[in-house]
Amino acid sequence: MEGENQAEKALILIRSRICNPSYIFTPFSDSPESNYSKLKFIISNSVTEACNNSILLLGPRGCGKIAVLNLVLRDLLAEHPDMVSVIRLNGLLHSDDNCALKEIARQLCVEHQLLFSKMASFDDNSQFMISMLRECGLAHKTIIFVLDEFDLFAQGKQRLLYSLLDAMQSITSQAVVIGVSCRLDADQLLEKRVRSRFSHRKLLFLPPSKEELQRLLEHILSLPIDSSFSHDYAMEFNAKLHKIVGDCRFTEIVDTLSGSDSTVNHLLKFLFRAVCCMDLDFGFLTLENFKTAILSIQRQPKLECLQDCSVLELYILVCMKRLEDKEQNSYNFNSVMKEYKGIHDSYQTSDYYARNVCLRAFEHLLQRELICFTDNRGQSQSVEFRPVKLLISSHELYPGLKSNRSCPLAY
Amino acid sequence: MGRTPKKALQSPPKSNPVSPLDPKPSHSSAVSIPPTPETLAPRRSSRRINFGSNQNTPLRSPDHVKEIVIDAVKTPKSAKNGGRSKRGAEKGSVEGSFSPVSPDLREPKKRKKANEKTTVKTGSRVSRNVRFKKKIKNADAPKRRRVYYKKVVYDGGEFEVGDDVYVKRRENASSDDEDPEVEECRVCFKSGKALMIECDDCLGGFHLKCIKPPMKEVPEGDWICGLCDARKTGKKVELPAPPKGKKRIRTAREKLLSSDLWAAHIESIWKELDGSYWFRGCWYIIPEETAAGRQLHNLKRELYRTNDFADIEMESVLRHCYAMKPKEFSKADTEGDDVFLCEYEYDIRWHSFKRLAEIDNEEDDREADTDEDWNSCEDPGSDTEEYLEHEVKNVKGLPAGPSPAHELPANSRKGRIFGLQKIGTKKIPEHVRCHKQTALERAKTTLLLATLPKSMPGRNKEMEEITAFIKGAVCEDQCLGRCLYIHGVPGTGKTMSVLAVMRNLRSEVDAGGIKPYCFIETNGLKLASPENIYRVIYEALSGHRVSWKKAFHLLNERFSDGNKVGKEDNQPCILLIDELDLLVTRNQSVLYNILDWPTKPNSKLVVIGIANTMDLPEKLLPRISSRMGIQRLCFGPYNYQQLQEIISSRLKGIDAFEKQAIEFASRKVAAISGDARRALEICRRAAELKDYRIKRSSSLPNSASAGKATVGMAEVEAAIQEMFQAPHIQIMKSCSKLSQIFLVAMVHELYKTGMGETTFEKLAITVSCLCASNGEAFPGWDTLLRIGCKLGECRIILCEAGGRHRLQKLQLNFPSDDVAFALKDNKELPWLAKYL
Repeated sequence: MEGENQAEKALILIRSRICNPSYIFTPFSDSPESNYSKLKFIISNSVTEACNNSILLLGPRGCGKIAVLNLVLRDLLAEHPDMVSVIRLNGLLHSDDNCALKEIARQLCVEHQLLFSKMASFDDNSQFMISMLRECGLAHKTIIFVLDEFDLFAQGKQRLLYSLLDAMQSITSQAVVIGVSCRLDADQLLEKRVRSRFSHRKLLFLPPSKEELQRLLEHILSLPIDSSFSHDYAMEFNAKLHKIVGDCRFTEIVDTLSGSDSTVNHLLKFLFRAVCCMDLDFGFLTLENFKTAILSIQRQPKLECLQDCSVLELYILVCMKRLEDKEQNSYNFNSVMKEYKGIHDSYQTSDYYARNVCLRAFEHLLQRELICFTDNRGQSQSVEFRPVKLLISSHELYPGLKSNRSCPLAY
Repeated sequence: MGRTPKKALQSPPKSNPVSPLDPKPSHSSAVSIPPTPETLAPRRSSRRINFGSNQNTPLRSPDHVKEIVIDAVKTPKSAKNGGRSKRGAEKGSVEGSFSPVSPDLREPKKRKKANEKTTVKTGSRVSRNVRFKKKIKNADAPKRRRVYYKKVVYDGGEFEVGDDVYVKRRENASSDDEDPEVEECRVCFKSGKALMIECDDCLGGFHLKCIKPPMKEVPEGDWICGLCDARKTGKKVELPAPPKGKKRIRTAREKLLSSDLWAAHIESIWKELDGSYWFRGCWYIIPEETAAGRQLHNLKRELYRTNDFADIEMESVLRHCYAMKPKEFSKADTEGDDVFLCEYEYDIRWHSFKRLAEIDNEEDDREADTDEDWNSCEDPGSDTEEYLEHEVKNVKGLPAGPSPAHELPANSRKGRIFGLQKIGTKKIPEHVRCHKQTALERAKTTLLLATLPKSMPGRNKEMEEITAFIKGAVCEDQCLGRCLYIHGVPGTGKTMSVLAVMRNLRSEVDAGGIKPYCFIETNGLKLASPENIYRVIYEALSGHRVSWKKAFHLLNERFSDGNKVGKEDNQPCILLIDELDLLVTRNQSVLYNILDWPTKPNSKLVVIGIANTMDLPEKLLPRISSRMGIQRLCFGPYNYQQLQEIISSRLKGIDAFEKQAIEFASRKVAAISGDARRALEICRRAAELKDYRIKRSSSLPNSASAGKATVGMAEVEAAIQEMFQAPHIQIMKSCSKLSQIFLVAMVHELYKTGMGETTFEKLAITVSCLCASNGEAFPGWDTLLRIGCKLGECRIILCEAGGRHRLQKLQLNFPSDDVAFALKDNKELPWLAKYL
């Protein structure tokens, strides 16, 4: 009973760690080369010395750009209470200039306990923003604009970026613009006049190296010794974990994992699955847990799709493949039916289905996106006459057919 | 909406029997400042008592008053030449009451005197009798109003709007009687002519010869007297006792700092109906009186300006003091004892601090003032005008006025923004004041784009041309409309040069060299839509907000038909449109309308358009290009010498950069774009990198200090790298194993087929071949598809949506050489090099 309780607690602790990005990224924040300290230096410079800056955080998704930024902002807010206000925008939500300015005005109002009016026009809001920038600058307060999905702000006329960056050129304003984007060419998207006003600090977030991955694993999974856990349990848990991590089978698993995608996010997803597989009665992590996790994370959706197909659907796919082998590049339902009839006549492997049944199967395949229309034109045409394409290659079709249990063997 | 105020402006004010001449009906109302929410300083209210009513303190006779009206700012027109308006009779009586001192007649002479700085203290021109008489007259004509002055000589002191003065706090305080202008020495208790030095801690004055050991001259930097020094080390110190019979006299400064005196900033001066002189003052406050109390970083001589106003009678003024901005304060070494530092404004309602605005903003204010001057001098309907102006003034002066300002929405009040007084720090952060900047940090500040340079090297020719253009357009009697098109790549100082020219011209206007004009600045990218420019222009001209259609109509009336909109009717108008290309609409009507106005005979409109493209006029309709394209000015990109000069002129006096480093940065930028902003940013980034390195290494105790703190080639190189180099190579180097194989397969495919574009199907086959022949496990098509999409997200490759699966088109976004460079010596997958 006691042991189970301990195991449950350990599970909860590890899960909450995995879901907390600030816990994940703290071990990387000490070294001077880390993005954390670089970013913190730039922003705190702006807070203390009233430098205006604009920074781009670039890197593939899942490398912790926002997580590190949040860490920095949290620490800065603690260090300089009342002097930093953060405005957050997301390109997916506010890429329209008008709406972005309104959101800025709203957040500024909330931050400073002012009354906000939804009715304000673009001009009103932009004037409000500029005068707020000025007043906050005079009061030694820094406004930090965080623009997530920065590349989406860099579309069209880029009014918002222009007016933000232009307002930062006045001596009284004290602001930082932080763009976060996974597009490496985000700064090339800016218009010339906007780019000229941008100060081009760039921080690159890279996926962790092997050693860092190892450190991260132990940081997340090992239990603290001096805590509510009983000493014996924690020791044993860590010893078992250490053994697993040292096992070459485990390194293999991690290698396959990071071979396809080495970002932190991917690792966390994997670990979460592994931890969830933990047997509460046993109370410790086992290698089996990680094996199940890697299997569940490396899915092959197309192949699984094929396994669920009916025999008729497989027939249709095979017919389409045969048509393609005959180098017939454009075909529609009717030509597929012709081929189907031809196969049926020559092999007689299974029942012959009526045309309307085949059409149903054909539509089903369209919905499962195993086949698709070649173009979007002619949507008024009925399904039979629109040209289609196979969305699955012959290399996938063959193992797919093999794995399907109801599939007749010859074709 | 816009029509009504216009009518009101044009209608003669005399028709209004109860004309709102007196902006404040009585003192009491003027004094009725709303009580502070938390009366932390309740005694402040005692300041508002009417000093004038107290006749017990004739320390100085108020009768010895002499007035000088200089630049009769707020003097209503009617007072100057009363004969023109219907109220001539009344005016006459006013002038009579002024009796011998008729401002109109005396003005030129007085001005001269003022220029000579001779403080004349003539006898009682305005005697009590006159005052008495006036009072009677006031009863007769209660509608008479105050006369505002810019400068007044009162009891020997010359007080001007904008001066700071000591104000007596208690009426009968005996301590106020003596008013030593010169401080006594703390040791010998004599004042005398000998040179004195001030202790930076206790602010006591010492004769150089009285200090032990005596000094010959004032030392550089801070100096702390022996007494304070001893006190700091913990010794008990006995202050030298004054000689018997002589009380130590406190100077006004000491009294102020111990809150026995007050200081105020004069906002406006006027003569009340009864002939007494009053001024509207804005109080100064000492740090002890604020909610935050004295903070550690407060200097001994620090004051805060408040937003608390009061009307004070001139009688209670002691003499001048000088509250200075930090810059002036640091220079003011020998200005005497009454010098104070005032950097912040204190909000008495919210108990918060805010920096006082910098100088260029003040200039703007001043400009507004001068505009008003001209208007009130020239406009026949100045009575209403003045009233309006006072309204405005009141609004400006009392941001925390009786209106419940904080209940209005902050972001939409027709251009006025409420609630800004709420913003302010409760405490001034220590790091702002106490931090001593290193050379690197100073370099960083001067390299900021926001810092306005003192001079603009390399743009003299262009500036001369702009000046000549504007002068040519404005100075002629018949101001013909003109148009100038300025083009050049970003960051070549186009807007800055125009604004610098306008600043220079403004000072010339102030000096009287050129006729006044109004200057409107707009930016195409800051307008919600191109049509909104009409609204912006109209608002700038008249101060009213109307819809753009209405504004267009009114502007058309003004510029084409010669109907006058606002008060600045006869002035030429200079319109600066930044980012002109944004005004191009489909039928180009906005641009056409704006550029058509200058061609109209009475428009007096000068348009300066700024844009990046050289051939904008040619891209437009011929009727527009014929109007715009005549006079053009090109701002070429800066060459490296110019950039070098720009950077080093900013860095003058700061030893933070190696010379080659600057040259390197400027050569690099000149070769790429010639953008001055970019050059400055590179240097700033380089300084930042150096600073980062130094601070990092100093925080680690074991490492030695990182050499000299100057920015060298290495830092500039790093900054340039960061700024210009795309980071894709690093990403390629560090991305996952399969992504690297994927990229190599793409390059391989490219070599094989010679086509830039490939489909996912072909690529997957190539990858599986590569994997098979090199003993690598093929991950399966679905994983490969995901990897491809991830690379596409980073734009290392360009790809279609993943739903297209095997038909998905793929293309490398960078040259294949970059991939080869990044992956050639890969340790994990050495076989990759074979295929590159």
